[in-house]
Amino acid sequence: MQDKSLKIGIFIIGLFVVMAIFAPIISPYDPSAIDQDGLLMPPSFKHFLGTDTLGRDLFSRIVFGSRISLGIGLVAVGIATLVGLMLGATAGFYGRRVDTVIMRFVDIMLCFPTFYLILAVAAILGPSVFNIMIIVGLTSWMGVARLVRGEILSLKEREFIQAERSIGASNLRIIVRHLIPNAIGPVLVSATLGIGGAILLESGLSFLGLGVQPPTPSWGNILIESKSTLGVAWWITIFPGFAILITILGFNLISEGLKKKMGN
Amino acid sequence: MENLLEIKNLKVDFFVNKKLVPVIDGVSFCINKDEVLVLAGESGSGKTLSALSITKILPHNAIITSGSIKFSGSDLLVMDEKQLVDIRGREIAYIFQEPTSYLNPVFTIGDQITEVIMLHQNKNKESAIEEAKELLSLVKIKEPKRVLFDYPHQLSGGMNQRVFLAMALACRPRLLIADEPTTALDVTIEAQILQLLLELKKTMGFSLLFITHNLSIAKRIANRICIMHKGKIVEEGSVEKIFDAPEHFHTRELINAYEKIGKL
Repeated sequence: MQDKSLKIGIFIIGLFVVMAIFAPIISPYDPSAIDQDGLLMPPSFKHFLGTDTLGRDLFSRIVFGSRISLGIGLVAVGIATLVGLMLGATAGFYGRRVDTVIMRFVDIMLCFPTFYLILAVAAILGPSVFNIMIIVGLTSWMGVARLVRGEILSLKEREFIQAERSIGASNLRIIVRHLIPNAIGPVLVSATLGIGGAILLESGLSFLGLGVQPPTPSWGNILIESKSTLGVAWWITIFPGFAILITILGFNLISEGLKKKMGN
Repeated sequence: MENLLEIKNLKVDFFVNKKLVPVIDGVSFCINKDEVLVLAGESGSGKTLSALSITKILPHNAIITSGSIKFSGSDLLVMDEKQLVDIRGREIAYIFQEPTSYLNPVFTIGDQITEVIMLHQNKNKESAIEEAKELLSLVKIKEPKRVLFDYPHQLSGGMNQRVFLAMALACRPRLLIADEPTTALDVTIEAQILQLLLELKKTMGFSLLFITHNLSIAKRIANRICIMHKGKIVEEGSVEKIFDAPEHFHTRELINAYEKIGKL
């Protein structure tokens, strides 16, 4: 069972990654090309998943949207993991005052309703793919920091860390070369889970109009464009929603599988 | 004879519940060049802590409150972390009690030995690997080439202790501190390791500070013995003096214990 969830997850995500990389080859139309004869066309052989209000091919838009959505997920989680690792490891290793300062900062960050913070920042800096990646990344590192700190706290008391000190390794070297590789397992699990969360967050932002701006397609802003035509064109809502659902499911399965694998 | 290490009036306190509890209470001893000094005493008498104080690799809640530790003329206690990092592993090296848990589980033996070499000597990876191989044959490991790629959990305790010894001796230290290096091993392996230590001492010419609670080992290898009890050195002298005319009651206790075991 445990192997299956990892395999299925990797298969799903692999499919989406391939889709994102080979988007220009896979998509039958330019994602911004308008088919004037075919506005709001239901799924057919000509338009695989139908067209939207402007007559753009929905399949092509979802394929190109996967680039933006997966990109944001990966980069944002990358930033979050990096920041979380650095702060968590510093707090855990040095302890005392350093620990108190960093962990209270984490508490403060956790107290903010993150989504509104992101909204505010996005409104000030202006919405762009680049900004979204950074904003989402910089508001979701706290979980990683807590996780890493906990791991480091128990790891640093282990004998091999003392041995490392006895051979003359500096603090920085001990943290980077010896503590973090031993703590990376749970971080990996939470990071894969985090990618799904980041994609969802981007979709939410785009839905509110503060995410990726049209005509650049992302799964979130395809969804927002669909809301006015929900009654007549179900496919514009269902398919991008489905893409989001499946991707997040895929990442959750990978995370679950990794967790089980590491437990063994 | 020339003093290599001279500890004067060392006091170490533990920080427990915001109070300072004295653990080492004015310890003084010296180690001459080419000498084997055995520090013996019961558990909790402060042997290990005295040894760790020498290069300040104490647990984080221990504080050295007074004293001086002179190593070939310079006081280690007034040195900053950077100078100490340079001395650890290069001039003063350690081997510890549980060899397997003192090696990092996620790196191979080769990685860990080359790390010491590259930390203290300007060598590239290839020559460090060559040197690691030589070190492994120096500590009489068969098939050093294969062991380089093994992880600590694939080797036996005795093998790991040899590996650790190879790491400790990688930079030809002038002082080797062995903290109960054979306590976790069975008697035949213990005998082999002790034999190896004495041989290497002869060929490489380091001084040895050997910590043990087992006076039969002390008798076999020591030039001089210091008996520790409750954070103090209660008796010091040559092997003959300690065994033939023990003055302190704790020395007599330790000798009795070892003779009792001998009679069984």
